[in-house]
This record gives sequence, C-alpha cells and structure tokens, in this order.
Amino acid sequence: MNFLRKAFLTLVCALAFSLWTLAQGADEQTLLHPPSDSWPGYHGDYSGRRHSSLQQITPENVKNLSLAWAFQTNQTSLIKSSPLLVNGILYFTVPENIWAVDARSGHQIWHYVHPRSAGEHIGHRGVAMYKGYLYFLSPDAHLISLNAKDGTVRWNVQVADVTKGYWTSMAPLVVGQHVLVGVSGDFDNLTGYIRSIDPETGTTQWQWNSTPPAGTPNQTTGGMTWMTGTYDPDLNLIYWGTGNPTPVLNGSTRPGDNLYTCSIVALNPETGKLVWAFQVSPHDTHDWDAVETPVLVDGDFRGEPKKMLMQSSRNGYFFVLDRTNGKSLLTVPYGPVNWTLGIDKEGRPIPNPAKEPAPDGRLIAPDEGGMTNYRSPSFDTKNGLFIVDAHPSWSIYFAKPADGVYGWAGADYGVWGKGVIEAIDYQTGKIRWSHEVGPGGSGAGVLTTDSGLTFTGDASGNFLALDSRDGKTLWHAGSGASIVSSPTSYELDGRQYVLMSSGGVLFAWALPE
Amino acid sequence: MTLPRSFCATIVLLLLSAFAAAQTTSHNTPNSTSAKPRSSGEGKNYPASLVQQGAALFRQDCSFCHGRDATGGESGPDLTRSKLVAADVNGDKIGSVVRSGRPDNKMPAFDRTDQQIASLVAFIHTQQKAAQTQGGRRGNGGRKGVAPEDLQTGNADAGKKYFEGTGGCAGCHSPTGDLAGIASRFKGLELEEQMLYPRRPKSKVTVTLASGQEISGRLAYLDEFTVGLTNSEGVYQSWRSRDVRYKLDAPVEAHVDLFSKCTDDDVHNLMAYLQTLK
Repeated sequence: MNFLRKAFLTLVCALAFSLWTLAQGADEQTLLHPPSDSWPGYHGDYSGRRHSSLQQITPENVKNLSLAWAFQTNQTSLIKSSPLLVNGILYFTVPENIWAVDARSGHQIWHYVHPRSAGEHIGHRGVAMYKGYLYFLSPDAHLISLNAKDGTVRWNVQVADVTKGYWTSMAPLVVGQHVLVGVSGDFDNLTGYIRSIDPETGTTQWQWNSTPPAGTPNQTTGGMTWMTGTYDPDLNLIYWGTGNPTPVLNGSTRPGDNLYTCSIVALNPETGKLVWAFQVSPHDTHDWDAVETPVLVDGDFRGEPKKMLMQSSRNGYFFVLDRTNGKSLLTVPYGPVNWTLGIDKEGRPIPNPAKEPAPDGRLIAPDEGGMTNYRSPSFDTKNGLFIVDAHPSWSIYFAKPADGVYGWAGADYGVWGKGVIEAIDYQTGKIRWSHEVGPGGSGAGVLTTDSGLTFTGDASGNFLALDSRDGKTLWHAGSGASIVSSPTSYELDGRQYVLMSSGGVLFAWALPE
Repeated sequence: MTLPRSFCATIVLLLLSAFAAAQTTSHNTPNSTSAKPRSSGEGKNYPASLVQQGAALFRQDCSFCHGRDATGGESGPDLTRSKLVAADVNGDKIGSVVRSGRPDNKMPAFDRTDQQIASLVAFIHTQQKAAQTQGGRRGNGGRKGVAPEDLQTGNADAGKKYFEGTGGCAGCHSPTGDLAGIASRFKGLELEEQMLYPRRPKSKVTVTLASGQEISGRLAYLDEFTVGLTNSEGVYQSWRSRDVRYKLDAPVEAHVDLFSKCTDDDVHNLMAYLQTLK
C-alpha cells in the first residue's frame, strides 16, 4: 500500500512536471541542455556543432531509412530554416510565414502569415523560442513575438529601418533574458549591429555596432550580422560572425583593416561589450562575410586541452581559435584560394592588393558565394572531424571608378564551382576524406550523429547519409528540388527522426516501425 | 490502488484544451512599416504607377540576386544587359522565367499574378532603357556592368603565344576551326566567360551495360546514382550507375585545371587574342 501511494505520488509529480514544462516551453534549462526530444534553437544547442547524440539510426541500418511524413508548404519559397522542436511541435519558416507542425505526424497545427512587407525576401532561417513564445524577424526588419500555442502576435518592434536598406532573415538567439538579433543589407553603406531585446517586453537592452556610423571619413560601413551566433555559458560569451565591409567591391574609401567587418567577435551577453575580436578577412573586397557558424568545441589541440572556436569561413580558410581570448590556433585553406600573400603572425590571411577587383577583371578563388555559405557545418565529436559542405570555385571580379563608392560598387561573375563534403582534421587542417556532391555545388548543411552518420545533400537534390569515418554513401533519396537547409534530428516516443527539407517541403525520415 | 478517475479526467481535459488552443490558426498580424520603393520612375512606355509597383516587388523578390536596379547583385545576372530581356515583348519571355524559375541556374520559381508579372516586366524594361540611355552609368547600390572596352588591356600576340604554348588551348581548339569567328558570336564579358568556362558544355558519355553492349550519346544527367544520356535519335535513356560502367568525354574540364595555373595577364592576353578572331 505504502509503495503504491509512493508510486502514485511520483506519477502525480511527473505529470505535474510535464504539464509545467508544457507551459514553460523552451526555458533556460532546455536551451542550455536540450533533451533529445527537442531542438530548441537554430543550432539545436548553443555550441553550433550540430552533432546529435542519438544512435538509433546507424551505419548498419540506415539503408532502411524511410519516410515517416512530409509537410508541404505549398509555397515557391525554399525552406532555409532549421525547425525548432519543443514539446513535440516543430516551428519553421519561409519569409513572411511560420508553421507549427506536429513532429509525430507532420500535420499542421497553425500557420501564421505576416502581411507582405518591404525588404528583401531572400530566405528565412527560422524562429527562436523562450518559454511559451516565439521570436520571428520579418523582411522589413521587425521582431515579432508570438504565442507558440496558437501563433497569435504578442508584440512587434522595429529593429532596423527598411527604408534605409536594412532587412532581416536570421533566426534570433535567446541567451538568458536576451533575444539577440542581427541585421542584413549590402546594397547601401550602413552600419551592421547586434541588438539585444527583452524577451518579455520587446525593449532594446543594448546594441553593439560592428562599424562606425555611415559617413565617418575613411571608415568602413557594413559588418552585417546575417546569421545566428553561438554561446558559451561557462565563459558567458556570445560568439558572432560579422559580414563584409561596404562599399563591397571597392575598398578605396575605407583604408585599413575595416574593423569589425569579416570578423568573429566575442561579446558579453549582459552588456553587449566586446571582449575580443578576430578578423578573418582584413580589408575584404570580395563580399566574403564571416558569418558562418562559430562552432564551439572543447578538446585536445595538439596535446593541450583547449576551449576552441572553429569556423569554415566563406573566404576559403578554416580557422581554429582559443575562444577564451580569440588567439589563433590554426589557419589553413580548405580549397583553392588565390587572394592572399600568406598568413600574418596573428593567424589572419594577408590580402593581396593585386587581387582586388579591377577594371579589366581579376580571376579569384573562391567565388563570391565563397568556399561555404550560411548552410551549417557539423563537428563530429566522435571522430574529431569538422565536416563542411565546401564549394571550390573560381570567379572574375571587376571594379572601376565609374562604379562609384556606394553599395556593391563593382561586379563579379562566377566562372565555375562544385560541391564537396569535406571532413577536416581540426588539429592539422588536413582533409581526412572528401565526397563530391556535384557541379555548381550543394546548398545543404551537415548533421553528424554519435552513431557515426553524416547527413547532408548533393547538388542534384539527393538527401545523403554518409559514413562519418570515410564519407561513403550509405543511403540516399531524391528529393525533387534544391536542398538549401541543414538537417536536424530528434527522438520522440523512442523513435529517431532526421528532418531535412528541399524546395518547399519538409521531410521526416525514420526507421520503419 | 488505481489513479482517481477525476485526476485522469483533469489531465485529459488540460491536454485537450492545450491541444485545442494550439489548433487555432492565426492571421492576426500587426501593421508593418512599408518602404518607399526606389524606382527610376522612367516608364516611358509604361505607366509610372506600374513601374513603381514593379520596383517594390522587384526589391522584395529579385533584388538580392539581380540588384535593386536590376544591374545584378549576388549571383544573378545584370538584367539591363540581358539578351532575354531585350528580346522580351510584354513579358512573353520574362513571365515564364519568373513563373518557372531556372533550376539549372538555381533561380527559384515565383508564384505571381498576371498583374504582378506585368509590373515586374514594366520595371525591368524601364531599367534596361535607362541603362542604355545613361551610357552604362548605373544607379546606386547594385552591381555594375562590364563593358567590352573594359576588357582591352591584354596583348594579342602574348595571348596567341599562350594559346599555342603554355595554355595548351591549341590541343583542343583551332582559330580556323571551332573558334573561327568566335569574336563575332560573343563579345565583351560574354566572350570572356565563354573563354574561361563555356556555359552548358556538351559532354559525351559512353555507357557499357552488363551485357557488354556500349551505348554512346550526349550526357544528359549525372549524379552519384544515375547516369542518363540522349542518344543520336534524341531519346533519353538512363541507368543506375552501379549497374553499368560509363566513360565521360568532357574536355571542358581542362579549363578547370588551368584556373590555378593562369595569371590575370594570361586571361587578358588570351582575351585580346580571341577578340582578333572575328
């Protein structure tokens, strides 16, 4: 009897707790330590590693992977977002649209449509969640907070002025009591910034500017904060990549390094104060944003335990930094690059002035889209490999005085490129294995799992599962459209799902029940 | 001992109400700030209001790739120098490109009304006309055009030498054969792009079936899993690549090997030489 009473009480507590968590949504603990049945932020956890601890789908059984469900957005916009998963519900976006979808069945729970707004509709990376609320950026640079249960709007604040040329497309990052947002814009000479917003009220808490105000003599503008950063709760630092300087292809009005453009910056999330910065492309003239995921890894670096930050940057170099202080541990190209004179003593590439865009053109590797782009890489903690969808490529860059010093201020044309999934040994930069994914290149990101699988996609729209040890294909499925998103994985009811999207369709894969 | 029924019912009710609340679809939206579209406004043959409307739509859907003034942005071509735009009459070509996209060039399709397409067509034609009348001077912000006169810095003799020597071009090409009159067919940037890496190169493939039978044709599709060709009768055939052996004849790949070897001077000199092949 006593035992039964105890069991009953335990059950009541468990049910009460589960109801409490249902009401809480993505609370601080969930964001800090995401359970396997969740994906509460853009990168999953704060590290940006996109490495799932799930092991149900293995190299041995992945050949049986089959479709659990597919969700059709019926939109021509391609899905670029990483769906959040909280309490069994997926939240994902395309510009002006959010869907809440049951992660078990793939059926729609609600669909929010934002009124057609100004600003570039180039894509949307997804929402952020804090407790029971979602945070969504619109193309006209407003941050909108919605009730996750039904998609009703709670508040709406402007984070940038679309009439000046800003827009927004990123998924915010929630850290403690801060919703961190970044801004986009390359066609005007504008200051990039990260803004911290109160999750309850929408009030601005702080703003960190990556460049001086427009019109400051001999100073750059730009440094847009296109993508979602990462966070180290122990060091209490957020890590963010900044975009290229403006004018984009003409550096004549902005002599010097152009801080803090094309940089990885570490900020205090409470104050927005800069703690350190590392510039991956001093004085960029090729539009190579450094906004690719700053991936946080703890481990040995050549025999010493290190807290590291790794980035496969758009400029063609793979960087490993000590993330406590921003000092370089490794700088090495991961494909053809021809725009530098070498690496300086701080580990920064030295741009070759002869490879700046010119009136008669310069042949440059990589191309403007870069050696990689917004798609996510993954750090495979099991094999110690940094796996990235790389894009070896060549292009021609032009700029002449008549092109002016505003916005793009030049022209560039891709000549050739291809896609290669590369597994980089983070301690040497050596490419352990590579897997060609087709002419032109693939837009798919990468997810690795503890069971030894690498999920990604090729240039023809095939979803792929590769063996993380050697890159061999173990499973594939033609998706019928371009893949321009990064896979995620979760476990519900004891079943592991891998979520991938192509075109306007979200696919959930699992082993047969 | 079992769970009290009322407790279970409460839990079920709570779950149901949460579920029902979550079922509500929302179109409850705030007012958004609308931007003033930046338009040239020079709709000589199109009503200014239609051009304005097209400019706003262009900025939302097209400007990231094609530039806000249609002179090109990230990855998309300069539409004011586009042959397709020049040949378009009232949207007969632009409309289908917008609606179907260009999957080969990674341009997505856009589901837009006839009226919206008409406004885009009005804007693009107005921009093209403005670009032509401004003698190549472009508006602020967008990518800028490359004129044939920009590409005249090379030395034709040095280019010929490179063609016949270091570059190895003469191994595949001949100034009196495939390249005869190349400078009349392509000019300026288009010639340089063709020279560096031809658009849609035609490659051949020979597939050997398990039976030993060989089938040759133009390579029509190739990924890791499937190889497809179009045979001499124009018929498409494909195989699982693991069931056959295939041999590609893709001489264009020699261009890729040259990228890391040639200098900017080599490119400019070769360009000067090719421009003599009229």
